Amino acid sequence: MSKPSDLVQGTLDMLLLKILALEPMNGFAVSQRLKQVSGDVLQVSDGSLYPALHKLEQEGWITAEWKTSEYGRRAKYYSLTRLGRRQLEKEADNWGRLSSAISRVIKIKEA
Amino acid sequence: MRPEHWLFTIPLRLRSLFRRAQADQELDDELRDHLEQATEQYVAKGMAPGEAQRRARLDLGGIEQTKEQCRDTRRVNRIQDLMQDLHFGLRLLRKNPGFTSIAVLTLALAIGANTAIFSAVYAVLIKPLPFKNADRLVFILKKNVPRGWSRNPISPAEILAWRNQTEAFDDFAAYTESSCVLTGAGEAEEDPCETITSNLFPLLGVAPYRGRSFTSEEDKAGVQPAVILSYGLWQRRFGGEENVIGRSITLNGVSHTVVGVMPANLSHLYASPYGSVPGMWVSGMGLAAEHTSNDYFGIARLKPGATLAQASMQMDTVSMGLEKVYPDLHGWRAQVMSFRTNSSADMRPALLVLIAATTFVLLIACANIANLLLARGAGRANEFAIRNALGASQGRLVWQLLTESGVVCFAGGIIGVLLASGLCKGLAALAPDTLLRAAPDLAAGTANVRVLGFAMLTLIATTFLFGLAPALQSAKPKVIETLKEAGRSSLQSPQSRRFRSALVVSEIALALVLLVGAGLMVRTLAELIHVNLGFNPKNILTLRAPLSGDRYKEPRSRAQTWEHVVARVEALPGVEAASVSRGLPITGWSGQYFTTADNPIPPAGQVPVANYVIVGPDYFRTMQIPLRRGRGFNDHDTQSAERVVIVNEKLARTSWPGQDPLGKQLRVGDDAPWLSVIGVAGDVLSQGADGRIHSEIYVPVGQYPWLQGPQHLVVRTSASVKPESLIRAVVEQIHRIDKDVPVTDVETMEQITLESIAQQRMVMALLVSFAGLALGLSTLGIYSVLSYSTAQRTREIGVRMALGAERGRVLRLVVGGGVGLAGLGLAIGIAAALLLTRLMTDLLYGVPATDPLTFVGVSAVLGASSILACYVPARRATKIDPMVALRYE
Repeated sequence: MSKPSDLVQGTLDMLLLKILALEPMNGFAVSQRLKQVSGDVLQVSDGSLYPALHKLEQEGWITAEWKTSEYGRRAKYYSLTRLGRRQLEKEADNWGRLSSAISRVIKIKEA
Repeated sequence: MRPEHWLFTIPLRLRSLFRRAQADQELDDELRDHLEQATEQYVAKGMAPGEAQRRARLDLGGIEQTKEQCRDTRRVNRIQDLMQDLHFGLRLLRKNPGFTSIAVLTLALAIGANTAIFSAVYAVLIKPLPFKNADRLVFILKKNVPRGWSRNPISPAEILAWRNQTEAFDDFAAYTESSCVLTGAGEAEEDPCETITSNLFPLLGVAPYRGRSFTSEEDKAGVQPAVILSYGLWQRRFGGEENVIGRSITLNGVSHTVVGVMPANLSHLYASPYGSVPGMWVSGMGLAAEHTSNDYFGIARLKPGATLAQASMQMDTVSMGLEKVYPDLHGWRAQVMSFRTNSSADMRPALLVLIAATTFVLLIACANIANLLLARGAGRANEFAIRNALGASQGRLVWQLLTESGVVCFAGGIIGVLLASGLCKGLAALAPDTLLRAAPDLAAGTANVRVLGFAMLTLIATTFLFGLAPALQSAKPKVIETLKEAGRSSLQSPQSRRFRSALVVSEIALALVLLVGAGLMVRTLAELIHVNLGFNPKNILTLRAPLSGDRYKEPRSRAQTWEHVVARVEALPGVEAASVSRGLPITGWSGQYFTTADNPIPPAGQVPVANYVIVGPDYFRTMQIPLRRGRGFNDHDTQSAERVVIVNEKLARTSWPGQDPLGKQLRVGDDAPWLSVIGVAGDVLSQGADGRIHSEIYVPVGQYPWLQGPQHLVVRTSASVKPESLIRAVVEQIHRIDKDVPVTDVETMEQITLESIAQQRMVMALLVSFAGLALGLSTLGIYSVLSYSTAQRTREIGVRMALGAERGRVLRLVVGGGVGLAGLGLAIGIAAALLLTRLMTDLLYGVPATDPLTFVGVSAVLGASSILACYVPARRATKIDPMVALRYE
């Protein structure tokens, strides 16, 4: 039931959008990809992944369709919508500004 | 949000709402798919299949909780939950018909009563008056503070002076009430009518429906008089014909030109609440500055920005000048009031008491249902604990409980509003004429939008009032405690017990206040019914038959006609006595100045007044008014004989204290002949059963037929004959003599007496019903609390009894708890009643607002019923078999 409190508020949305921007995939694959690319640093429990995905879907940023996977089982595949792409750009921009600002602060040499 | 966004989201929302099962199925599939893949992955890593499955589940957190969170993102949950709760709530209510019917019925009664009373309150006190800028309209009467008189009609001298010498008014109109006998073209009829100044309708901002208002030329006396018909009279008498305008009709023997018809919905709230609704309006006021007869009512429009106080001050200054010129006006000052104050007159205290009473009933009903809900909530602790464990948040549970109480409330509300329509009709049947005139919709029982809005608001407030506290109480997460007790009925928390006790205490306190109010009204009515009216109202039939027109121009012809009528009526079987009069006891009192020979020129402001009653020879015998001294009138008291008068005891006592009144002389009016007192009659209540005793002057018809003719016929029947049964025969006798005489106001004296106390009777009937309801509800409340807590203490009581407690002890234990609550409720109730009943002093008669008998009596009734309510569960407790109790559960 753990909430992604260790993630900066709102970044989970951005990460999911980014992952889905690469290719449409199902929930399990998203969870795997998240662990893979972040190198287990970002602990997102499966319990909070699905509510997050459903929220993005309800916002209209991602859309879902049922497809048969390569293993022959029906699975729900998520993909990015036009709105989602725009949202991702916006959030990525924000993130870029925020992280560069923070790193500038952190890099200030102690006098 | 951008429209483009809605393109995506609206179909999603609709799908979530209407294809919910599919959406949920897909959610299940998706998560199962995830679990399978995760399990496979763990197995691939070398885990045992069982362990792998467990890990996968753990990773997902609580599956049901995750699902609920996913559903939460759909944004339509509130609606879905509501549907689900409604469904569930209805099912629960169907399963508990006892609870449901008690809750719905009590609420329906309370809301119905509230809505009905509010209809009356709205009509009388809130509804905007249907006149142009009604807030600036004022009604003008006069008062004489030193002599304690108020609400007196005004005179032409005052109307003209106030109109011309003050700055506060835009316009000033006046009217006077009279009766118009319409003859020619069909049966003669008498209608109440008003003679008005031509500016009255323009001032009120009401336009005629047909034709025109009067012109200022028509205000003058001596020009061809004009008449405006009411819509009702136009329809009834003239068949709604358009060509009635311009036609001549005969009123009181004088030809009038019809110039207009007023609209059907014309409100009479511009007039005195005691006046009759007119059938027509007549022109030709002819106000003359030197007239000081008090027959008129003033209606004025304040200038924008001018206040009642300013107007009143300016008018007082004018009055001070007037009284120097006209001694009759000595001490009189304008009594200016808003239209609302005038039209709601003496109904306000009664209505406020009634709306307070219905609010109390509603509060008691709410407390009662809250109590029942709490008891049920405690019983459902297991259900809530399980729901909570399965992911329902506390807020969600509160919503569910509120929805359930909302269902009860809604059902109660619907039935209540339906009931209200019937209750309105009942109220109209009980209501005094003044209320019916101010609230004409009441009898129809149609609720208007505002009244329905009020009912809706009451409903919503009620739902929260009785639903929220129990919901918050019951929905508190007590998962561990409850589940640990596993199936055992959970003990209610001390907090919840305190809350329920507080509810019962307040129910009893509120019920006591209502009972005291009802008790005081019952005592008032008892006083009023047994008050000595000064005459015997039983077996008397009265009617009004004004003799007018050419045939009765001669006073002698009027007197002779009455003589014939009385002789014929007295000859009817079942009639004991009959007589004529102008003026009847109870129906009103109009003062005339008089002077006595011993004090011919009293100082201005101290001229005595008395009610001037013209009576036939047998009047005192017919009414059974006792003669204390001297003789009654007889056939020898004619114009040629000595002028005689009979006074009442009050007048004799005040005019000639300590002296023999017989042979004393008095006269009414400065130029009138002196009258010798030949008898002293007993005092009668001329202003109604709750009125005061005033001085009365009785003069014989035989000597004064030319002043004002008598109008009333009074007929006493023998004890075995109902006066109503003679109506047809009596009217027939009158019409045999003259078929054109209109007969109106046919009533028995008992009806007249009852009408004079109609308001008190209405308030009493309603308060007694409300108090009865409150008594029942609060008794039920204390009973339900006690039976519930006794049921919960079954084991404890069983243990006590097993350890040797006697039945008497157990009885005391249980009853004691209830009696403590009842006692506290009674104490608070008595304190509140002492404060609140003072507000109803205006409605009481012959009983103080703090009447100890009433307080003790109703406390005893409420206390006794509470003890009874405690005794039943207590007896049940003593019947507990210790063995069964300990094995229980």
